[in-house]
Amino acid sequence: MTPKVPEVLGEIAGLIGRSLAPGGDPAEKGANLGLSAMLLSLAAQRWDGMAHALVEENRAIRPILARGEEVMGKGRWRAISQADEDFRISALEKANAELRAALLALHEAVETADGEAARELEALIWAELRASTERRMVAGSPV
Amino acid sequence: MSHPLEPRLAAYLAGKMPDTSDVAVDQLSRIAGGASRETYRFRLTWREDGETRERRLILRRDPPASLIETERRIEFEAYRAFRNSAVPVPEMLYLEEESDALDHPFFIAEEISGFQAGPGTLWTEPYLACHAELGRRKWTILGEIAKADPQALGLTTVLPPATPEDSWRRELDHWEGVLDDDETEPLPIVRAAIRWLRAHPPPPPPRLSVVHGDYRTGNFLYDTEGGVHGVLDWEMCHLGDPLEDLGWSFNPVWSFGRGLVGGLLPRDEAVAAWESASGLKADPDALHWWELMGCVKGQAIWISSGKAWIDGGNREPIMVYPPWALQNAQDRAMLKVMGRL
Repeated sequence: MTPKVPEVLGEIAGLIGRSLAPGGDPAEKGANLGLSAMLLSLAAQRWDGMAHALVEENRAIRPILARGEEVMGKGRWRAISQADEDFRISALEKANAELRAALLALHEAVETADGEAARELEALIWAELRASTERRMVAGSPV
Repeated sequence: MSHPLEPRLAAYLAGKMPDTSDVAVDQLSRIAGGASRETYRFRLTWREDGETRERRLILRRDPPASLIETERRIEFEAYRAFRNSAVPVPEMLYLEEESDALDHPFFIAEEISGFQAGPGTLWTEPYLACHAELGRRKWTILGEIAKADPQALGLTTVLPPATPEDSWRRELDHWEGVLDDDETEPLPIVRAAIRWLRAHPPPPPPRLSVVHGDYRTGNFLYDTEGGVHGVLDWEMCHLGDPLEDLGWSFNPVWSFGRGLVGGLLPRDEAVAAWESASGLKADPDALHWWELMGCVKGQAIWISSGKAWIDGGNREPIMVYPPWALQNAQDRAMLKVMGRL
């Protein structure tokens, strides 16, 4: 989640503290606290499953990149094979960003490549992108 | 307790009303929302011709860092251009582009009171029965905007010049540039959408239109009968392809999960209302291009909102809401429009 959850929670804590002070516009305070409540709800929804979703996604992307190297040769989509060992969310997100950047580069390259293998690889990438949005879904998502 | 802006606002307005006395501002209160402008309602009172008078007004002030970087003069002049037309808009009163009076540029307009703007209210009584009528009004008014002659409205001297041939590229370049500047993580879905858009440009429109730039459920004032009493938030107004607004209004994130465009109307009925009012035909392929373009634009706005928060320019919670609540939904919207969901 961007901006990062710990930073947002810290900012909300400060906002709640300031809202307890007398004075200020009640409507503005109410609007900010209402929005803060929604953000806390979103963070709560992702809290338990976030590490799991990142590990799952990183595991899903690595074989696609490996297949990409087989089909397309070496490139900016180089296979990143090392498994996650640091399970802090910040570390998993860093690994995820590297993997998604490589996936993006592979997708761009495979779109213009000819052949059955390229089409199969492209379908794999689209399936993973679709799955990535399922992993990030929150309740009340409009789509 | 009075708001600290009240005496400063009263002093500014007193300077604009030389034939009056006892100019005062009270009941100033911020309206929720508004990530790109701070919006307040207030009461202005004054004495004139021996009588005490009052008027309910709106203050729209630039925040320290905005979700959308825009020129407030464009918004002010767009409102003025459509005053007393088939497109309902509030009356604009004063534009202040300097920061001396209230720390940031602002404008002041009449308040159109007694109506709702927030989409959440629409899904509750007594509004549930008005959706179809409201939808027809919504896209009829959008057709009126598309039909309007920008030159006759005086907007060609205010809005940046454009040509029919480059309108698609200008929008795509702009919003891709916003993503280039503000993304803080790889965004493979929106980048795939951008590649598709570049590879399949739409045909040039028959003519340029005024493009509202953010025409969606949530940016107009409605009543319980399906009437629309004010089209708001013209800050991204520009000249461009008339299908641009229609495509943006069909962005699936504005369906609010209700399976109807804007959460209000079947898509074909919305297109028919727009075509009837505008006198234009919505080419399906070109409209599809602009729908996907609208998804890219939406994602750029949500991403830049998060970036403004990260950079510290604006730490209000509303800046976090779009990236947390809408970024993934916008990705899913792009997949849907591209037939990948």
